[in-house]
Amino acid sequence: MENEDAEKTETFVQRLTENQNRIFAYVFSLLGDHARASDVVQETNLVLWRKIGDYDAQRPFLPWALAFARHQVLSNLRNRQRDRFVLDGELVELLSQEAEKQASQFESWRQALKLCLNRLSASSRRLIEKRYFAAQSISEVAADMGKSAGSMKVALLRIRHQLGECIRRSTHGETS
Amino acid sequence: MSDEQKREIEELLLEMETGQLQGKRAERLKSILKNSPAAREDFIQWQLMNAALKLEAEIYPQVDTPALAANPVPAAPTLPRRKDPRIEGIGPVWGTVATLVFLVAAASLFAIQFSGKKEASQLVEKEASSPNPPVSPGRPEKTAEGVALVTRMVDVLWSDPASPLEIGDAIKPGTLAMDQGLVQIEFFCGATLVVEGPAELKIETASLARVRRGRLRATVPPVARGFTLDVDGIRVVDLGTEFGLAVEPGKTDVQVFDGEVEIHSGRQPVRKLPAGQAISRTERGIESAEYSPDRFVTMSELEAKRADQISTRMRNWREWANQLREDPRVLAFYSFDQAGPWGRTLRNSATRPLFDPSGAIVGARRVSGRWTGKGGLEFKHPGDRVRLNIPGEFQSLTFAAWVRIDSLDRLYNSLFLTDHYDQGEPHWQILDSGRLFFSVRWRSDDWKRGQTGQGRAHHPVVSPPFWKPSMSGKWLQIVTTFDAGSGTVTHYLNGRPIHSEKIPEQLMVTTTRIGEATIGNWSIPTRPDEKFAIRNLNGTIDELLILTQAISADEVALMYRKGKP
Repeated sequence: MENEDAEKTETFVQRLTENQNRIFAYVFSLLGDHARASDVVQETNLVLWRKIGDYDAQRPFLPWALAFARHQVLSNLRNRQRDRFVLDGELVELLSQEAEKQASQFESWRQALKLCLNRLSASSRRLIEKRYFAAQSISEVAADMGKSAGSMKVALLRIRHQLGECIRRSTHGETS
Repeated sequence: MSDEQKREIEELLLEMETGQLQGKRAERLKSILKNSPAAREDFIQWQLMNAALKLEAEIYPQVDTPALAANPVPAAPTLPRRKDPRIEGIGPVWGTVATLVFLVAAASLFAIQFSGKKEASQLVEKEASSPNPPVSPGRPEKTAEGVALVTRMVDVLWSDPASPLEIGDAIKPGTLAMDQGLVQIEFFCGATLVVEGPAELKIETASLARVRRGRLRATVPPVARGFTLDVDGIRVVDLGTEFGLAVEPGKTDVQVFDGEVEIHSGRQPVRKLPAGQAISRTERGIESAEYSPDRFVTMSELEAKRADQISTRMRNWREWANQLREDPRVLAFYSFDQAGPWGRTLRNSATRPLFDPSGAIVGARRVSGRWTGKGGLEFKHPGDRVRLNIPGEFQSLTFAAWVRIDSLDRLYNSLFLTDHYDQGEPHWQILDSGRLFFSVRWRSDDWKRGQTGQGRAHHPVVSPPFWKPSMSGKWLQIVTTFDAGSGTVTHYLNGRPIHSEKIPEQLMVTTTRIGEATIGNWSIPTRPDEKFAIRNLNGTIDELLILTQAISADEVALMYRKGKP
């Protein structure tokens, strides 16, 4: 009895841990704010932990977990001050299906991104590093690289396109 | 979707990402998203790329930008961060994983509390983020909940037997109800109550309680002035004194033994009651009453009763121990109760010992055990131990001990370890994570041939964490049974099973051996993994029993009742 429980707990913890990045990706895609997304992921973890009794190990973990994550996202949006762009509840409902679909592929997506980052030209990669790894604003990056903010935006969009294409190719195979 | 639309969406998304998307532009994005599934796909893809880049940022080699130089990406899991504008963009998602780990640890604590049905009575440690700066990242400071402590108890019968409080337990705000007995409660404000059952109190804060029923004596030193007891509409506020309160249906008596109290009653003026006076409140109102301090049990009377109870308990335990000595299943019984000086040998109390009965005490000090007048052995230093030699071959085994753990300092904290850990030899210890660990070596001496690629040598049976810092200094009964017939190992804490597990058949051992062994430490300095050789217990053992049978859960529970201090 206790043994069974312990085993169930272990499986549960394992799946929860394995899926942390996917849950994060899902929540982030709907909230778009790192700190807030981290908070919501933690809240979701807590809720999931409390629901461990309802969890059926035979069923896929991620869709079950994301249903609770969506709920947490919605309640976070309700309490949220509208200081910057946020989705409304209706849009979250609309987007969550797409987010769930893509979040389930997130790990292979990340693998692909790693490869694709290495294929970028040195200057493109530098731009990505400054903007996303070092969290510099576009005007800071522009100043650093001696370009105008406008041309930085264009360059950034171009590189994102390149990355997106590269990821699509490596996750769907070269031909499709 | 046309290229033009795609471009428009991308521009909107970039504005969103940089926090500039507002007003009409924001509405525009929302309306596109509502109407176009393709746009929604692009939106999620954009966001996922940002999420992936953020995760990548945590593991990527650092780049030489000022922002990163000032905030190096943590290499190890850290506490979840509050927003820091400088690092918000690259804040580690590791925080969530670290929190999850704490969460799981905390949840296991809860699980074990529920399984032990003691959650209401124990200090509940919770992992809390410490105020800045954190002492050590990733290890949040422990906190405990509670507003008062149980410090003495005599013959208490709690109304809810599922959550019995014990001496030393912290009391959280909530109802405290007992059918009979006497309990002494020390509030964190400094006030002390001696409560006589039947009684029901609702503990509100460290200086306020509501009394629904029962008789009690409050002692309030000056530092706790203002301590308040609330009885259905009247408040007794203590001004640094000693007073008695008796609450029964329809009648409340207050008597002041020393100092002065204030009686607040609705809109009536505050009434001061000096020492030597008593009032009684009934439906007729408040009136003077007869002063009779003897009705209220004092702390010293309680202490005398408690002392009586202790000597009764100890007497009962001795009777039981004397019977146990005759039990043919007893392989070794160290009751630490021998009269006169012990010297440095520890006698086996079994009447017909199967082996040279004495243990050699090395380092460990003789101290008081569960009761004053009974001995115990304190293990403190890395060298402290008791050496034994128990020859012979056995099948099933039971290890039972009464232990007072001060803290779990070592990776492995020994209760009883055989020296060489050869085939059939048991190891009984507590991990630093508070899990009880029992294993019997299956494979013989393979470490001599090097351990890599040797496969599994044993199957440790490890309980969920049972240890909480609030248990420090309390006497715990720890029992583990090994049934050689079925390969089942069961761990018990304070008379209740906490974990049971079957050893897989291919790792099961039916013949057990002990040979040279050590209580409270491990004696094998020759082993290559010497770094694990310091396994001394930090605490006191005052009874250790080894039986040649896996005893039943009922017998473990009986042993607990007989030995409970």
